[in-house]
Amino acid sequence: MRLWEETDDGAPGTVPEATTERRRYRGPPRRAAAPMLIQTLNGLVYGGLLYVLAVGLVLIFGLRRVVNFAHGSLYMVGAYVGYTVTAVAGFWVGIVVAVLVLTGIGVILDRLVFRPLQDEDPIVTMLVTFGLLLVLEDAVRTIWGKDFLTVQPPPLLAGVVHLTGTSFPVYRLAVIGAAILVAIGLSLWLRMSRVGLYVRASSVDPLTTGMQGVDTEFLSATVVAIGSGLAGLSGTISAPLVALSPSMGGSILIDSFVVVVTGGLGSFTGAFIAAMLIGQVHNLGVVFVPGAASMIPLVLMVLVLIWRPGGLVKAGA
Amino acid sequence: MTGKATRALGICLAVGLAGALVPRLIGSPLLLTLLTQAVLNAILATGVGFLVRQNGLVSFGHAGFFGIGAYVVALSGKYQVMPIEASLLLGILGAAGLALLLGAAMLRLAGVAFSMLTLAVAQALYELVLRWRGLANGDDGIAVQLPRRIFGLDQSVFQQPASMFTICWIVLVLVLAGLALLIASHFGTLTMAIRENEERARFIGYRTLPPRAVVYAISAAIAALAGALFALYNGFVTPDVLYWSLSGEALVMAVIGGTRAVWGPALGALIFFLFKNAAGDLTEHWPAIIGGTLIVVTVLLPRGASGSVAMLMERVGMRAP
Repeated sequence: MRLWEETDDGAPGTVPEATTERRRYRGPPRRAAAPMLIQTLNGLVYGGLLYVLAVGLVLIFGLRRVVNFAHGSLYMVGAYVGYTVTAVAGFWVGIVVAVLVLTGIGVILDRLVFRPLQDEDPIVTMLVTFGLLLVLEDAVRTIWGKDFLTVQPPPLLAGVVHLTGTSFPVYRLAVIGAAILVAIGLSLWLRMSRVGLYVRASSVDPLTTGMQGVDTEFLSATVVAIGSGLAGLSGTISAPLVALSPSMGGSILIDSFVVVVTGGLGSFTGAFIAAMLIGQVHNLGVVFVPGAASMIPLVLMVLVLIWRPGGLVKAGA
Repeated sequence: MTGKATRALGICLAVGLAGALVPRLIGSPLLLTLLTQAVLNAILATGVGFLVRQNGLVSFGHAGFFGIGAYVVALSGKYQVMPIEASLLLGILGAAGLALLLGAAMLRLAGVAFSMLTLAVAQALYELVLRWRGLANGDDGIAVQLPRRIFGLDQSVFQQPASMFTICWIVLVLVLAGLALLIASHFGTLTMAIRENEERARFIGYRTLPPRAVVYAISAAIAALAGALFALYNGFVTPDVLYWSLSGEALVMAVIGGTRAVWGPALGALIFFLFKNAAGDLTEHWPAIIGGTLIVVTVLLPRGASGSVAMLMERVGMRAP
C-alpha cells in the first residue's frame, strides 16, 4: 500500500490530500523504511545527472587544463534544444539532436576558445568561459523567454513502478540507468580503446604524447566535443524532471564544481564517487532543510578537503 | 620615506577633496546618479582587483561578499536587533570571517579549483536567500528600514546621489590609501613574494597560508563594505546582489582597469559605467554585454587601462605610481 509520495520541486506527481492525512496519522516509525528507499533513488537520479555533467568538466580539464565555466550553460542549452525538438519530433529525436548540437558547439568552443588560449594563463580561459556563460544565459532568455517550460517524459517511460509499497516514476529509473551506461561506456572507452589510451596519456603529459606521434590537438577537440555533448545529454534527460529556465544551469553548475573538486581535480573515478555522494546529501538537504539545501554540498566538500586536501581520489585514476 | 609618505598623504587629500567638489560641478542628476553607482562599484572592483594583485587569484564570487554586506544591513533593519552602524560593521567583519574560514580550506587547492569554488559559494548563497523565503523574502527582496540618523548624519544624506557620491568617494580614497600602505608594508611584500613563488617563500621560512587567507579576507571585507553602502543608498536589496552577473561585472571592471596598479579596478569601474551609459537602450541584454566585454577585454587588453597608462608613463620616462 502506498503510504505517501515524496517529490522534490519540479518533479511530476502530486501529493493527494488523503495521503497527506494518512502521513500525519501514521507517524514516523511506519513511513521510515519505504521513503528512505525513494530518497536514495532520488539521490541517485540527481547524482547521475551530476556525474554526466561533471565528467565532461573532468574530461576537458584533463586535456586542456582549464575549467569550463560555461558548462552549466551548455547543460541549459541542451535542455532547451531538447525541448524544442521534442515538441516537433518527439523525445528520442530530441535527445539525439540535442547531443549532436552540443557536440558541435563543443567543437566550435575548442576551436575558438580553448585552442587559441591554451598558451595563456588558465585565468584567461576561465574569464572567457565565464563571459560566455553570461552571453549564453542571455541568448536563451531572448530566444525562449524567461518563463518556466516543461517537457513530458516519453510515453514509453511515463508510468510508475511500485517498490515496497511506494511508487516511483519509471523515467527516474531510466535516468539512473542512463548515467550508469555513460559511466560504463566512458571507462571502457578510456581503458580499452586506443584513443582512450591517448587521452589518458595526453592528460598526464601532452608534450611527450605529442612527440610519440599523437595528434593532441585533434584529441583535445574530440574530448571537448564529447564533454560538451555529455552536458547536452545531461540537460535533455533532466528536462522532464525540472522546470526549464535560463538560470537552470546555475545550481547544477555549482554542484558539479563541488563534485569535481571533492572527487579530486581531474579524476574520473573521483568524479563518480563524489557525484553519487553529493547527489545523496543534496537530496537529503532538499527534503529536510529545503531553504538551505544549496549549502549542504559545500559543507560536505569542505569536510572532505580538510580530511584529504587533494580530494577523494588522486588525479589520473 | 617620510617625504614619500607626506607626498602620498597630499595626493590622497587632493584626490579626496577633488571628488568632494564633483557634485557641485555636475548639474545633471542623471550623470551624478551614474557616477555614484560607479564609485560604489569601484569599491567592489577594488576588492576583486586586490585579490588578483596580491594573491594572483581570481574570484568569481565577490557578489557573495557584497550581498552579505547588503543583506546584513537589510536584515538588521527588519529584525531590529542592532543599530544600523553595528550591522554595517558586522556585515564587513562577517564577510571577512567567512573568507578566512573558506580561505583556510580553499587556498590549499590549485588556483583553478579556488576560482571554481568562489563561484560555487556565491551561487549557494544566492540559492539560500532565494529559497529560504522566511529569511529575507526571497525573490521579492527586502526594503531597508533606515533610522532617522546614521553615524550622526540624516538618513537622506545616504540616499541623495550628491551627498552619497561624496561619502562613497571618500570611502574609496580611504580604501585605496589603506591598500597602498598595506602593499608598501612588509605584509605586502610578503604576499607578493608568495604570489610569485609560494614554494620559495616557504623555504625562506614563512608560513604561506595565513597571509594569503588574510588577503582574501581583506578583499572580501572591501566587497562587503561596498554592499553595505549599496544597501544604505538603494534602500532595497534583492537576491540579484548575490547573483553571478554582479561578480562578472566586478571582474569586468577589474579587468578593464587592470590590476597591476591598486587604483586600476576603480578606474575600470568608471570606464565601465560610462560605457554602460553609452550602451543605453541595449540594457535589456546587459548580461550578454557584460559577458561579451569580459571576453573581448580579457583577450585584447590583458593589462587593462591602468597597465596601458603605466606603460605609457614608463615610455615617457616616469615611474609608475
